Amino acid sequence: MNAKNAFLGIDVGSISTKAVIIDDSNAMLAQEYIWTEGNPIGAVKKLLGLLEKQFDRDAWQIVGVGATGSARRMVGSIVGATIVKNEITAHAVGTTTFHPEVRTILEIGGQDSKIILVENGIAVDYAMNTLCAAGTGAFLSSQARRLGIEVEEMGHYALQSTHPTMIAARCTVFAESDLVHKIQMGHPREDIIAGVCRAVASNYLNNVGKGKKICSPVVFQGGVSKNIGVVRAFEDLLRCSVIVDENGHLMGAMGAAILAKRSLKRTLFDFSVEKMEFVTRERGCGGCSNNCEVICVYRNGVLIDFWGNRCERGAARA
Amino acid sequence: MSEQKMPMIGIPRAMLYYRYGPLWERFFQVLGVSTLLSPPSSRGILEAGARLAPDESCLSLKMLMGHVETLIGRCNCIFIPRYSNYGYTELFCTRYEGIYDQARNIFRSSGQRFITCNIDAQNGFPEAKAFEQFGVELGFTAKESRRAWREASRALEQRKKAEDRSQKELAGKPGIKVLAAGHSYILSDPYLGKPILDNLDAAGVVTLRADALEPETARKACARFSPTCRWIVSEEIVGGVLLWKEKADGIILVSAFPCGPDSMTNELLIRRIRGVPILTLVLDAQSGMAGIETRIESFLDIIRFQKGAMV
Repeated sequence: MNAKNAFLGIDVGSISTKAVIIDDSNAMLAQEYIWTEGNPIGAVKKLLGLLEKQFDRDAWQIVGVGATGSARRMVGSIVGATIVKNEITAHAVGTTTFHPEVRTILEIGGQDSKIILVENGIAVDYAMNTLCAAGTGAFLSSQARRLGIEVEEMGHYALQSTHPTMIAARCTVFAESDLVHKIQMGHPREDIIAGVCRAVASNYLNNVGKGKKICSPVVFQGGVSKNIGVVRAFEDLLRCSVIVDENGHLMGAMGAAILAKRSLKRTLFDFSVEKMEFVTRERGCGGCSNNCEVICVYRNGVLIDFWGNRCERGAARA
Repeated sequence: MSEQKMPMIGIPRAMLYYRYGPLWERFFQVLGVSTLLSPPSSRGILEAGARLAPDESCLSLKMLMGHVETLIGRCNCIFIPRYSNYGYTELFCTRYEGIYDQARNIFRSSGQRFITCNIDAQNGFPEAKAFEQFGVELGFTAKESRRAWREASRALEQRKKAEDRSQKELAGKPGIKVLAAGHSYILSDPYLGKPILDNLDAAGVVTLRADALEPETARKACARFSPTCRWIVSEEIVGGVLLWKEKADGIILVSAFPCGPDSMTNELLIRRIRGVPILTLVLDAQSGMAGIETRIESFLDIIRFQKGAMV
């Protein structure tokens, strides 16, 4: 049997878990997008089950696996990833592969936001939100709940507004109290929603994008890019069109798969991981007053990986 | 332990210790005063400090208070000098001015004695005179104190020269070089900055430091860039960045939250420096390194991408 090579990319974020399988020419063979729901291991197992159904295991063999996203380390050791990369690099690689002309990548996810500047298809600079998660997907979700609508409907409402309400954008906490005040003052709901979308965009440009030269073409991705209200707000503020790829949410997973392909490491991946049992435990090291939180991962009861220790003492205790 | 057998003076290993440590230690050594240095920073010390210090203080001040606590009852008095200014335009962050009084107040019920040295040129006490006065307060003659000061300031000068030299050696090394810029008490702190430097080390990157430079040279470079930069220490960091940036493939600005001076100078550097990627890392009392690791890793990837490496 002569199966062709394929590569799996998994992107486990705080809110959603994404995966793709690509072939040698980056064509997508399978893709899936599910909620992480606070259980990255469960999400990955479920995701692999869904991918397996879409995928012809006689025609293709997976020879490389890339893991990215905030749970990359844990997921990487569970699936036996051949490469584990941070989400910024993965997104840059994924997006520049599909939009080689891109100059600026805006990304707003569930818990963080970043900007990547690209020249000649190569990422040259980036910035990420620092301590504060203002204006990310989590903020939009909680405001949607307050306004009694689904977060998915926000964009639709925002487009109906002709006069967006001004919402203080500097800080999420202040934005929220400002929003409550404006609701009680009687501003129409669609204007407030449009104002929230605008606040997300201007907050992003003032914090993450500060001091960065934003050149067109601009690609906007991450979960928040599905909100047409925020897209329009970016277009208004940047005075240029903003590209939202229908596969934008998969770019991290794509990048991870492409990086797995580029790296020369090859290991045959089968879907047996789905049926294995994984347990993680946190243990305070206690070796010194740093008391590092060491995370241990067990596969079917056997320790396969650990991290979180600052020194060797923690390794001995894992 | 009886009071006679305890070391005379306790020194918190935090904040300005990382700048003036060799000077203070040599000063006491020449006078024959025994000293006790607090242990290296750890999470336990920071947690204690965060509990003791005012909520709104910067991370470094919290760390300092944790160090002070480790010395309580273990020395005759704790030395916290008050660095105010070297002249009308040469100012220090007001935190350095306030820490002696704050520490005394925080630990007022402990019975611990504190001692300070007022460096305040605007009011007639430039560094040399301040230390002379300080020596006299400790019970030595003015002459003995002046001699100790001379030797101490020479020790500091030698340390700075040595740092400068080793930095020049590092700058000549091949491979990717990253310039780490921040207060010495952040970068050199074993709990705060060192994990970052270790991380860069493990990634096979040569790390230069903006604070390892002779102060005069650095401040001259800063004066050309921003004549009104307000704080001496910030001037030196900015000057260090300007002088070393040509040798570096990327700059990492490391700051503690909330640092007033850094919030001005880092902004200035981000806006004015072109052609070198800059990463800002803001440290808070987070226990995890995950966010920091992600940022460093992706920053190094960007540098490597620019140099043509693909993965």
